[in-house]
Amino acid sequence: MPDTQTVKDQVRQFVAETAQRKGIGAVTDDESLTANGVIDSLAIFRLVSFIEDTFSVRVADEEIVNDNFKSVNDIERFVAGKLAQKV
Amino acid sequence: MVESDRVRMAFLLNQLLTRSAERYPERPAVWARGRTLTYQELEERSNQLAHLLRERGLGKGDRVGLYFPKAVESVAAMFGVLKAGGVYVALDPSAPAQRIEYIVQNCGIRALITTGDKLGGLRPGEIPTVEFSVLAEENAVAAPNRFPWQDLAGIPGSHPPEPLQPTTLDLAYIIYTSGSTGRPKGVMLTHQNALTFVQWCADEFRVTHEDRLSNHAPLHFDLSVFDVYNAIEAGACTCMIPEDVQLFPASLARFILTQGISIWYSVPSALVFLLLHGRLSTLDLSRLRIILFAGEVFPMKYLRQLADAVPHAELYNLYGPTETNVCTYCKVDRAALGTQDKLPIGRACLNTEVFAVDDGDRVVSEPGGEGELYVRGPSVTPGYWGDPEKTRKMVVPNRFQPYFDEKAYRTGDLVRLRTDGGYDFLGRRDNQIKSRGYRIELGEIEAVLLAHGGVREAAVVAVPDEEIGARLRAFVAPHNGGALAAAELQEHCASRLPQYMIPERIELCETLPKTSTGKIDRVKLAAAGAPRGQEMGRTGL
Repeated sequence: MPDTQTVKDQVRQFVAETAQRKGIGAVTDDESLTANGVIDSLAIFRLVSFIEDTFSVRVADEEIVNDNFKSVNDIERFVAGKLAQKV
Repeated sequence: MVESDRVRMAFLLNQLLTRSAERYPERPAVWARGRTLTYQELEERSNQLAHLLRERGLGKGDRVGLYFPKAVESVAAMFGVLKAGGVYVALDPSAPAQRIEYIVQNCGIRALITTGDKLGGLRPGEIPTVEFSVLAEENAVAAPNRFPWQDLAGIPGSHPPEPLQPTTLDLAYIIYTSGSTGRPKGVMLTHQNALTFVQWCADEFRVTHEDRLSNHAPLHFDLSVFDVYNAIEAGACTCMIPEDVQLFPASLARFILTQGISIWYSVPSALVFLLLHGRLSTLDLSRLRIILFAGEVFPMKYLRQLADAVPHAELYNLYGPTETNVCTYCKVDRAALGTQDKLPIGRACLNTEVFAVDDGDRVVSEPGGEGELYVRGPSVTPGYWGDPEKTRKMVVPNRFQPYFDEKAYRTGDLVRLRTDGGYDFLGRRDNQIKSRGYRIELGEIEAVLLAHGGVREAAVVAVPDEEIGARLRAFVAPHNGGALAAAELQEHCASRLPQYMIPERIELCETLPKTSTGKIDRVKLAAAGAPRGQEMGRTGL
């Protein structure tokens, strides 16, 4: 079972790749991804697909909210919560 | 003496506000991020800003850039500039600095209403015409030529400054859209242009002071003209959707519910987004009485689903380029949805005339006839800022009306006349596409790619996409086998183009395929770019 650090690393990497593709520089773990432009309406669904594929969880439509996706930290917390539910 | 802002029939946009402020001073005018301005407050704030702009030297017709994320101050700023006799230019807060700097120079923007943060992202040497800024944020720090918004409170706000003989033909705002030669073009819009649209909307949709209009579109997109000015005209409230709500479909759906939105206007992509992921069926959206959509074709299968999800709402398809705002409309006939395979763009709005011109240069009069759609009437732009050549090309003498000189706008769209007198949209004549409702000249993206020193050839194709209209794929051939990475080109694009114009994929090839006449074979590239297409790698197609 992946530990917290690995989940965060993977999330960080995905976010960093998305940011780079958009010409946005380094992204910190707590900065708002909607404010800095990393997440737009296309990116949000790529991110959801990434989470579902990488961690084998299902993300419900009503879970696609700002609280769960605002920053790297928030995404990691959301994913960890989903993984804990699976056990 | 009649005070200019208290006339019976408005000929300037700002008169709409003054009239409603007199009638409904305590009603909410604009909501954004949990803050509200009443009509009285909006009237005062905009008067104060107008005074400040004039005192700093803003003259009649001078351009003022609005460059900050949507807030209640955005609407105060629009009206403040108009009351000062200026012309506002809404700038995309998420566009790269270079694009903003280009626009500032292109129309000689003299003042910016912005934030310290956004201003800090612009290079002073690249905005030489800007003389001062107003910082529309809390706790703004004053500096030479930087005026904090809170200082407005000290300026008398019961009247606007003395008007400078304004007429309805004066420019109100400039909207920059994608240009085919690689640079954005500034579409000039007058008070009359905007009011022609606002007046038609007011009558057709019967907006009242009890309505709550959502504002989904960015302020540099002309859909927002309805959201703001039709709300103000009626004494209604415009509710600006915060960026973080906009991106999350469930939040957006709940926003519509909790804000009691009664009229929604957006591009079809946003509605499809809501439909697919916003779980509309779980919400009581009975307050939503009208849904307007424009900017791109609405896929019928999703339109049918939308119609089912909001059974009580009237649905309208609106059509028109930025150069004329909406010129035709079609109210959705729910009974016919099952059998239609495409929504018509419908008939001309009141106070507008449209006609199609066929290949023989004749006006189409028989149903089934096809031609390029022309628009005539007071909604037609006077032209493109600083570009008389492009203006002459698109805003042409109306050769079909022989009695006096007047202009008509060539839309570049092909249409077919229907038996009911309305029109069907057939397609574009050239290389302009829509993605998520945004107008994109593929040539502009290609010009940016070609501007990179390592790029020898470049072509951008649009791959049709059901959800957003089109996805962008670029094909690039580097110079003489030089090392060039797609990631580097992505960053190059990101520093010059707004988000929605950055190609999703950039494929590198040794050389691009050509047609028999030596032109890049875009048909072949488009086929290669279709979903499930292969990466081409460096061996070419």
